[in-house]
Amino acid sequence: MLSDCLLIVFISICTALLGEGLTWLLVYRTEKYKKLKAEVEKQSKKLEKKKEGGESSDRSQKKKLERQEERLKNHNRDLSFVKMKSMFAIGFAFTALLSMFNSIFDGRVVAKMPFVPISLLQGISHRNLGGEDYSDCSFIFLYILCTMSIRQNVQKLLGLAPSRAASKQGGGLFATPGQLNTR
Amino acid sequence: MASATIKRRTEEKPVNGFLTISTISKAVAAGSTWEDKDEFLDVIYWMRQVFGLVQGLIWGLLPLKGFFGLLLFFVFNLGIIYLYYNSFQKIDDEEYGGASEILKEGLMTSFAAFLVTWIIIYSSLHTSS
Repeated sequence: MLSDCLLIVFISICTALLGEGLTWLLVYRTEKYKKLKAEVEKQSKKLEKKKEGGESSDRSQKKKLERQEERLKNHNRDLSFVKMKSMFAIGFAFTALLSMFNSIFDGRVVAKMPFVPISLLQGISHRNLGGEDYSDCSFIFLYILCTMSIRQNVQKLLGLAPSRAASKQGGGLFATPGQLNTR
Repeated sequence: MASATIKRRTEEKPVNGFLTISTISKAVAAGSTWEDKDEFLDVIYWMRQVFGLVQGLIWGLLPLKGFFGLLLFFVFNLGIIYLYYNSFQKIDDEEYGGASEILKEGLMTSFAAFLVTWIIIYSSLHTSS
């Protein structure tokens, strides 16, 4: 079991590095992406400073803020478009890779968990495993947990994570209405 | 000229990234001044990742099990971070948008790392393969 676990951690590290490497190759190093990202960072910080400055009752100030938010929203959307095609290709490749590993570890209990996950998660944690012992851990559950912990750390270590201001302002293709409202 | 140099150095510092030596020295010194909020939040983030791993290791060795183990993770993780920023660094959390902004920084990533470590240590030490 220990060897399976360590192998899964290793696979997760490799896929995270590979994913970021491919994304850097296809997206991050392009001039268009760099320009858009710099613009989004600049505008997000400016907007955040203005909002922290407190609500202004001045109408012209509010209109200026709305125009800036609109500009930021458009830039975020453009940024999402630049990333989209490459992300689809990378996602496709990784889905294939994951299916391969899934079939290798099919039916194999890779670890015994010290807790029983809630029923919503048992579908993943006990995936393709026999028996009724829900503390048995499947490959996919451990892999997902590893990826959740490793991927963001890899992004931060490589300096590829978006700034907090940009993440907070949100926007992009999949922005929720809440993210686009003026605070 | 000096202000331009300082501005350039600030701009070169990684935003939402890893920690520099000067950041680590500020982090271990009580009551440090944090001009750059992102810098302090990076410290919180990485501290949390280390705590998550250490907690997973300890919980797996003892071992702690079940919902109690999960609950204790949050209690200790949040408690230690709160004590660190409130009592040790004496940070006014209002400057960061409230206590929740600091307390949630890197929490889910840390939780995932904790679960992985806890599962692996527990599984290898306390169960038969």
